[in-house]
Amino acid sequence: MAGTRAKWLGLGAALVAMFAVPAAAPQYVVHIANFVLIYTLPVIGLGFLTGFTGRVSLAQGALFGTGAYTTALLTTKLGWVPLATFVPSVLFTVVLAVALGGAAVRLAGLYFVMATIGIQQIVWIVLMNWIELTNGPQGVRSIPPIGLGGYDLDTPQRFYYLALAMAVVSYILAKRVVGSRLGLFLRALSDDQLAASSVAVEVGRAKVTALALSAAWAGAGGFLYAHYVRFIHPDMFGLEPSVLFLVMSMFGGYRSIEGMIVATAVLESATEYLRPFGEFRMIVYGLLLLLGMMFFPRGILTLVPRRSAASPAHAKV
Amino acid sequence: MLAQIVIGGFATGCIYAVVGLGFTLVYRTLRMVNFAQGHVFMAGTFLGLAIAERAHLPALPLLLAVGALAFVVGMVLERLVFRRLYHNHEVFIVGSIGLGIVLMNGVRVLYPEPVPFPKVFGTNVVEIGTARIQEANLWVVASTIALVLLLHAMFTYTRVGRGLRAVAADAEIAGAVGVNVKRAIALTFGLSFAVAAVAGVLIGPLYFVSFDMGDMVGLKAFSAAVFGGINSIPGTILGGVVIGVLENLAGGYISSAYKDLVAFVILLVMLVWRPTGLLGRETPVKV
Repeated sequence: MAGTRAKWLGLGAALVAMFAVPAAAPQYVVHIANFVLIYTLPVIGLGFLTGFTGRVSLAQGALFGTGAYTTALLTTKLGWVPLATFVPSVLFTVVLAVALGGAAVRLAGLYFVMATIGIQQIVWIVLMNWIELTNGPQGVRSIPPIGLGGYDLDTPQRFYYLALAMAVVSYILAKRVVGSRLGLFLRALSDDQLAASSVAVEVGRAKVTALALSAAWAGAGGFLYAHYVRFIHPDMFGLEPSVLFLVMSMFGGYRSIEGMIVATAVLESATEYLRPFGEFRMIVYGLLLLLGMMFFPRGILTLVPRRSAASPAHAKV
Repeated sequence: MLAQIVIGGFATGCIYAVVGLGFTLVYRTLRMVNFAQGHVFMAGTFLGLAIAERAHLPALPLLLAVGALAFVVGMVLERLVFRRLYHNHEVFIVGSIGLGIVLMNGVRVLYPEPVPFPKVFGTNVVEIGTARIQEANLWVVASTIALVLLLHAMFTYTRVGRGLRAVAADAEIAGAVGVNVKRAIALTFGLSFAVAAVAGVLIGPLYFVSFDMGDMVGLKAFSAAVFGGINSIPGTILGGVVIGVLENLAGGYISSAYKDLVAFVILLVMLVWRPTGLLGRETPVKV
C-alpha cells in the first residue's frame, strides 16, 4: 500500500534526522531534545490512562518523581550501579501507584482526577518532609551518570542516544500494547464501560492494568531523568509537571501517540522559545495552556486536517 | 494548649470552607472543578492590599469592596474565558490551571517578595478561657458565619438565589421554566470569585502574603469541599472546619512536618470510601 510505504519512509526520515541531532545541532538543542525524549515516556504512559480508559490523572509527576527518587537513592545511598536500578525503579513506581490509586481507579471521570490530586500532593509532601530518607528540600545531589561498559553518559551528546533508544522502545512497546488484546479492552472500556463489561471485559482489572502501565512508563522516565539532570528536588515532581504531562497528552489528542510526542516537543521546548518574554515567561505559558484549551480542546493535531478528518481509523491508534 | 490549637484550627478551617465554597458553587452548577480558585483567593488578598495601601479603608468596607470587585471580575471572566472551556472536564481543569498560572505569575511580577498586609482587623489579643486569640482570627470566624448566613438567605429567599439552585439541580428544566441559565452560570462564577477574594482579605493580616500562597490553600480547600460533599454547601463548610481543626491537632501533637498531609489523606480516603462526601447526595457513576 502506497500509504503505508509513505508512512515508513516518513518514519525512516524522522529516525535519520533524530540520529543526526547530536552531530549537527548545538549543545543546547541536544539538551532540550534529551528532555523531550525523556518526557515522552511519562506522557505516553499517561496516554494509556487518559486515552484508553478515559481517566485523567494529575499524579503522573509524582510517579515520575518516584522513579527518579528510587534510582537516585539506590545509587547515592546504597552505591548501586545506575543500570541495576532500572527494574527496581519501574517496579517500585508501579507498586506505589497501585497501592495508592488501585482503589481510586474505579472512580469515574472527575472523581478520579480529584483522587489523583490527593496522590500527587501526598507523594510530594512525603518527598519534602521525610528528610532522613529523601534529604527533603535539600534534594539529592551527585547522582552518578549511567555507565555503559566503562563509558559514562555524562554529556548531553552522550546521553542522547540512550534517551532516543528508550523513547523509541517505549513508543514501539506502547504501539504493541495498544494493538494487543489488552489495548482493545481498554478502548472498549473508554467507549462504554457497561458495554465492555457485558462482553466479558474484566473492567476492574483492565483499569488497574492501565494504571500500572502508566506508572511503569513514568518510572522509566524518572529513572532516565535522575541520571540525566543528576540533581533532583521534590519541587521537580509537584503538581506542575503533572499538569505539564497531562497537557502534553491532551494537546496531542487523546489517542494518538504521535500527537503526544509532537505536543511534548512543542511544550517542552517552550521553556526555550518563551525566554525572550523574561519575567513574563510563565504568564505567557499559562496563557498558552488557557488559549490552547479554549480554542483547540481536541488537541493540536486538529490543526492538521489530513489526520483527523480523512482517516478516523488512524486517530484511534 | 488544646483550646488554643482547636480555635486556631477553626479559624484556618473557616478560610478553607470559604475558599472551598467557590469550588462547590461552580461544581454544583457545571459539574466542573475550577482549579484557579486558590489563585483567585491569592489575587483577592493582593487586591485588598492594593486598595488598603491607597485608601485607608476600615475592615468592613475593604471586605465589601474586594468582594464586589472580584464578583465583577468573575462575571467578566466567565464571559470571556470559562464559557469556552465547558467542552469537558479535562479541558476545564487544564484551562483553569492555565488561568491560575497567569494570575499567580501576574501577581509575582508586581510583588515578587512576600509583603506584610496592613493590620486592618486590629492587633489585639483576646483571651477566651486559657486560649489567647488574635482579634484577626475572630474576624475570620465572624465573617465566615456572616457570609454563610448571607448566602443561605440569598439561596432561600431571593428570586436570583432560587434560580441558581434550580440551575444547579437541572439546568435544562430550569431553562424551560424561565430561569436565565447563562446569567445564572455567570452569577455563580461571580459569587465563587467574591467568596474566595473575601477569604483572601481575611487571611491577609494574619501572615505575610506572597504570590504562591494560593497553591496549598486552594488544594486544601478543594479537599475540604470533597470531604464534606462537593455539591453541598453545608458539607463544604463542615469539611473545611474539620480539616482545619484536624490538621492543627496533627501539627500540634504528631508532627508539624506532616501537618499538610492530613487534608490530602482525608481527600483520598473519602473518595474511595464515599465519593459524595459527608453531606453530599449525588451518586457518582462507579463500576
